[in-house]
Amino acid sequence: MTFAAAALVLAACTVPHDREVGRIDKASATDAEVAAVYKRYRQVRNAATGLLDPKPLSTIETGPVLAIDTGSFEVSQRLDASQEEDSGKVEILDVQTPRFTRYPLWYFSVVRDVARDVKRVQIFQRASAVDPWLLVSTPETLAATELPQIRTDGQGDARRVRPGDGAGMSMSVDDVASAYARTLGNADAAEAATIEDDSFIQQMRDAAAANSGLKGVKFAQRWSPEKVQYALRTSDGGALAFVTLLRTDTYTVPDGLQITWPDGSPQQAFLQAGIQGTGTLNYYHQVLIYLPGGQGKPRALGQFGGVVSGDAG
Amino acid sequence: MKRATGWASIVLGAVMAVLGLALMVMLGPDSRITTGPHAIETDGSVVVTAPRVITWTGLQIDVLVELPAQKPVFVGLGNTVDVQSLVGKTQRLEITEFGTPWKPTIKKRAGRPVVQGAPTSLDWWYADSAGLGGASISIDLPDEPVSLAVVSVGASNLSGLQVTLAYGIKGGFAKGAGLLLLGIGLVLGGLVLRRSARLDDEDEDQYGDDAGEPGDEDGAVVYLIVDEDGVEHELTAAEVEAGGYEIVEEDASEPDPVPDPTPVPDPPAESAREPAPESASEPAAAGTGGPVVYVFVDEDGIEHEVSEDELGDFEIVDDEEAPEDGRPEDGTPEDGTPEDGGQKR
Repeated sequence: MTFAAAALVLAACTVPHDREVGRIDKASATDAEVAAVYKRYRQVRNAATGLLDPKPLSTIETGPVLAIDTGSFEVSQRLDASQEEDSGKVEILDVQTPRFTRYPLWYFSVVRDVARDVKRVQIFQRASAVDPWLLVSTPETLAATELPQIRTDGQGDARRVRPGDGAGMSMSVDDVASAYARTLGNADAAEAATIEDDSFIQQMRDAAAANSGLKGVKFAQRWSPEKVQYALRTSDGGALAFVTLLRTDTYTVPDGLQITWPDGSPQQAFLQAGIQGTGTLNYYHQVLIYLPGGQGKPRALGQFGGVVSGDAG
Repeated sequence: MKRATGWASIVLGAVMAVLGLALMVMLGPDSRITTGPHAIETDGSVVVTAPRVITWTGLQIDVLVELPAQKPVFVGLGNTVDVQSLVGKTQRLEITEFGTPWKPTIKKRAGRPVVQGAPTSLDWWYADSAGLGGASISIDLPDEPVSLAVVSVGASNLSGLQVTLAYGIKGGFAKGAGLLLLGIGLVLGGLVLRRSARLDDEDEDQYGDDAGEPGDEDGAVVYLIVDEDGVEHELTAAEVEAGGYEIVEEDASEPDPVPDPTPVPDPPAESAREPAPESASEPAAAGTGGPVVYVFVDEDGIEHEVSEDELGDFEIVDDEEAPEDGRPEDGTPEDGTPEDGGQKR
């Protein structure tokens, strides 16, 4: 009885102790931080939507996401149309917080947009200890799309994949970005055989074919991958990679002809006078690519993109 | 077993008591060791502990930083990754080693003059505080790599900085007292166990294996008589012999050879122990043909002996023939009123 009491008393005490400090690292965020970040994100985004002003977005987004959203706001402003407020019900389905030894920190989250019936697979990043959390990638998948399981370490934190590391996969994440871009740019490229012919590739090829069919117009499309920064290890030894691609559509129109786009389209918003001579439209596409473990072909699970700039020369 | 447990209890209790006492003495009633204020000479804006300098966990620390002239100052404890991101590229004093109570090794690191953001606006500090002329934090060190940073706020610097450090265990004095009391309790419990074991041994030596069995102390026979009020009186063997009592054996200590499966009410004690003392005291009168005594019971129920010469005045009733309920056969009232003569007993 006495021993039991003693054991209980000792167990109740937190005994301070000196410990071996191993790797200096930290999980990128706590659940509470993630919830707070997402709450703030929606508040600011809705404020920007209400004002139809993309400026507040720079406090919650950066990089290609900000460019795409800013483009979208500019389209709305030029077309005098309103943006849809993000006030519907959303569910945070998953949060994965890798560990980092230095900044930038980032985390992965999956949010279900009930109203639009899609999943937003997002990366929020904090560039330094004094910077806020910003959305840097947000490809969307169908709500029914099954995402691969993310592998975690002993502490429950997600494992990252170095972009150049292709161990256990058909290629590295960096190589996937390059091969995917070449495949999009040229269906006959050698890399096309290494990439699954997925619906995103089909959709982009169809759009390119339509533009190429414009009578008398010379159309060229170029795809450029950005350096991959965000990739997580999946439980099958593969990777889930966030690949950002810059698409440049160039139109060369003979004298006497003009290309115009229908009212309300993003292209029309950026190139209101249409194209006479040469004009370009730049798009960003954020593609969520799954590289299966083993020798399976990479394939896109979702994407988010839009016009970010236009130039009619 | 008792002896071994007693020893173990004494040893454990002594160790706990010593530890508890040491904790109380070391920490004092405020449960912490305080050192300072210690001056740190700097004209920079940051003093920080290097990675792996703070290695303890579970320890409560209190840090008070003070600056002269009401200069604004900030003190915070955060994950080393965060703190290094904040101050890693700033000119700073870095505490690269630290020994208790206050033996810091300080190195100067080059960098930009001030941190890039306001430390007060950051959300990742485990504990932080800012104030004019001083600021303090109190926190249990978490099980993570942490660093402590003192940062000047605004355009001021940290010249004249003084640091007071306290470390201890939250509620440590009370925990030490509890440990001491628990230890004392264990020691006392162990002593009681040991004493009990020794007494057991002595009993065994004195009485052997059968010692302590009831009714077997000396094998003596005790004679008891139970009077009319049910009170037992002890008699000597001589009195029993002289009194001519009927002896009924009753051995209370003898166990039942076969235990009853169901409890049975004990028979009336009198039936065994009280062999009708009146008849026992007058064994000759119980149907042995001895002399007959005639008595007359008066109105107060007092018996008076009647001689054979006076019998003519009374009707003779044989008492032994009276029914069990005590009522005479002829309907004489229970009180024995001699309206119709005397009684024979």
